[in-house]
Amino acid sequence: MTLAARLAAPGWWRAALSLPIGFAIGAGLVVAVRALQGYEPAFDGEAMTTASLITVPMAFLIGIGCFDYWFRWGSGAPTVPEDHSGHGARTWHDYFRVNTDHKVIGIQYIVTTFVFFILGGLMAMIVRAELAAPGSQLVDANTYNGLFSVHASLMIFLFVIPAFSGIANYVIPLMIGAPDMAFPRLNALSYWMLPVAGVMMAASFFAPGGAFATGWTAYAPLSTQTPLGQNFFTIGVQFAGASSIATALNFLVTIVTMRAPGLTFFRMPLLVWANFTTSLLVVIATPFIAGSQFFVLLDRALGMNFFDEGNGGDALMYQHVFWFYSHPAVYIMMLPGFGIVSEVVSTHARKPVFGYRMMAFSLMAIVMLGFTVWAHHMFVSGMSTWLRVPMMITTMLIAVPTGIKVFSWLATLWRGVIHLRTPLLFALGFITMFTLGGISGIMLAVIPVVVHVSDTYFVVAHIHYVLFGGSVFTIFAGIYHWFPKMTGKMYNERLGKIHFWLSFVFFNLTFGPMHLVGIDGMPRRVADYAEQFATLNAIISVSSFLFGLSFLIFLYNMIMSWRRGRQAEGNPWRAHTLEWLVSSPPPVFNFDRIPTVVGGPYEYGIPGAVHGTFDERPEKIAPQRGERVGATTP
Amino acid sequence: MESAALPGRAADAHEHHGPPDPNRSSRVDPQLLGMLLFIISEIMLFAAFFTAYFFIRVALDAPWPAEGDHLPIETGIANSFILFSSSGTMHWALESARRGNRLGLKLGLLTTLLLGATFLAVQVNEYVFLDFAPADSAQGTIFYGLTGLHGAHVAVGLLLLAFASVRAFRGHFSPEEHRGVEIPGIYWHFVDVAWVFVFSSLYLLSAQGIL
Repeated sequence: MTLAARLAAPGWWRAALSLPIGFAIGAGLVVAVRALQGYEPAFDGEAMTTASLITVPMAFLIGIGCFDYWFRWGSGAPTVPEDHSGHGARTWHDYFRVNTDHKVIGIQYIVTTFVFFILGGLMAMIVRAELAAPGSQLVDANTYNGLFSVHASLMIFLFVIPAFSGIANYVIPLMIGAPDMAFPRLNALSYWMLPVAGVMMAASFFAPGGAFATGWTAYAPLSTQTPLGQNFFTIGVQFAGASSIATALNFLVTIVTMRAPGLTFFRMPLLVWANFTTSLLVVIATPFIAGSQFFVLLDRALGMNFFDEGNGGDALMYQHVFWFYSHPAVYIMMLPGFGIVSEVVSTHARKPVFGYRMMAFSLMAIVMLGFTVWAHHMFVSGMSTWLRVPMMITTMLIAVPTGIKVFSWLATLWRGVIHLRTPLLFALGFITMFTLGGISGIMLAVIPVVVHVSDTYFVVAHIHYVLFGGSVFTIFAGIYHWFPKMTGKMYNERLGKIHFWLSFVFFNLTFGPMHLVGIDGMPRRVADYAEQFATLNAIISVSSFLFGLSFLIFLYNMIMSWRRGRQAEGNPWRAHTLEWLVSSPPPVFNFDRIPTVVGGPYEYGIPGAVHGTFDERPEKIAPQRGERVGATTP
Repeated sequence: MESAALPGRAADAHEHHGPPDPNRSSRVDPQLLGMLLFIISEIMLFAAFFTAYFFIRVALDAPWPAEGDHLPIETGIANSFILFSSSGTMHWALESARRGNRLGLKLGLLTTLLLGATFLAVQVNEYVFLDFAPADSAQGTIFYGLTGLHGAHVAVGLLLLAFASVRAFRGHFSPEEHRGVEIPGIYWHFVDVAWVFVFSSLYLLSAQGIL
């Protein structure tokens, strides 16, 4: 291929060319406007950087080829029958281009998110090294603030949320018997916005004044007054948010319109339910964080007064708008995990999920209640006091649907034929750790307690119990569970178990003592601390390093098993859901024929029970009168 | 967002092994559902801006507009009529597409484009002649924020309509297949309805307003 042809075709060559063009457009626009308006100086580095933070990523997305089809459509070219040229992966090169295959996109998502997981994890290691002893160890206070801020932002926006999207991207179309997602090109675009957001946030360390140092919450008016690095967060979040809205919309349309014949809503596997409800949350709530960051950006870049109290703005309004997204976001980071655990527990304990319908209803209940609790993050913010008690009550109410789920998993395990494989180990670890995190969550809902422990390490302990012991354990469970399906290879069971036990033990040794130092009043987000907390912090730091090392076992296991693991069968776990009806890895278009669903997804232990079949004319398709999924006991 | 978003055409099955056609588990058209969900998230984005409006104007009880500022209500009303009539012409274009009236489709889309562009031009002109700037006061911030957000949506709507117009003039769309007109049309109606709320809360509900 000649250079000119390479630069014209979608891909990395054109993307590389488009980066300087994007910068020229963004920076040029700023210079032109400033010159016309007579601002001094016309060449303002900060303004030029801010504008190119928007134009360079857009140019990159155009260059790599995300918009080619839509531009062709808009220019009036005839719609050609789909040639599937952007579909599937034959070599590893195909993972590095705009691909419309949901299985390729799923793996792109998972690998990308783990790259950012490692990056964010390394930042956590530096944070813990700094906190190993009182006083200053490695980094100055400003860098420390940047480290924990970027750590949290990467973990939340670039790891937990998109890792779930990745697993769901791979599994959901297979699970509902669809050949792909409803909008494959939109799916590709939502993936490619993700590395853009992550690289932008990580690159903030190179901005003058250092990385954004306002935490992942970026409270105004602090965030409207910090150096340039803040813009890398403010704009990066917009790309991550747009990616997440587009994916959620895609999931909803796929689940509503593309289910296999016979797959009624109450025959759907709980992972599909979980992603359906999560996607509802994303579509409704995520625009609010976009709004909050638009406000910050407008205040910073154009001198507007959303949060400038001196000019009639309202600084507290930031927290209301921010938490109206970011509280539902904790369920966006948890509900897909609930779905994964339901699949794993039922399959590896060989029993129908106890109370299937209640599991689905409780997901919906969490979605509804999730919108009514945002101000419990603001009990000490100085907001109107009358809002406190209603928020406390709704927060505690959420423990009810969550409790239903925990008890349903326990009842599913009860007298099951338990195969203690790695996915189930992680699911069990999740149930225990998430319950502990839930209990400290109830404590944090109580106003008198929160007044005491707000902004201490107690909150840090709580969030890591629900987000690491909760969400990340379910991500591990999901990856081990579907590893054979995704790669066609078996992972090493012994290494998997070692990974689980090391991470389970050192997770608790790292975050357990944080409850204690938190109750004693050690503040979070400070680089230094009082002498009295030295012993526990030394223990925490040492455990956190070992905890970090345990992840290397996972990495080794995944890479080595993918390269030379034992060949996996189509259905190594003898599971019933549709993705296990096809080979591992699945054929490029998932199914030769769309399967027909004839029963519930978890009828384990019932002789002859099937969920889906490729029979042309199965005996029964529609749910029978009185059919209750999961209600039958063996 | 046109037909080829869904892979799978029975006709090219001989050429290569394509995917099976997906089962249609809902009567709702995927593209239509996608646009409706997108509009829901757009409504929430407007809601975030209206939250800011509420906090500054209602919770902090700020005068509206700020002391000494003046809002051109009359121009605003005229401009609103321009935008609302564009919803009518959009509907005309879609109905023409449904009936196979190609001239009506083209004229309808062109008029809509023209009316929308006029609205945007009047809005920009208003920005130039307003006696306050976004940085002057929180009220100014909200005013420019909400009208700017709406203006950005008008611009996106115009882009989508421009795509549809190009295709209409190239002879695409038929009474059976006109989603490429229908889906941007729904977005355009949404932009109009959003203006009802933006206009009434910023202009009509003001010290010089009529409500």
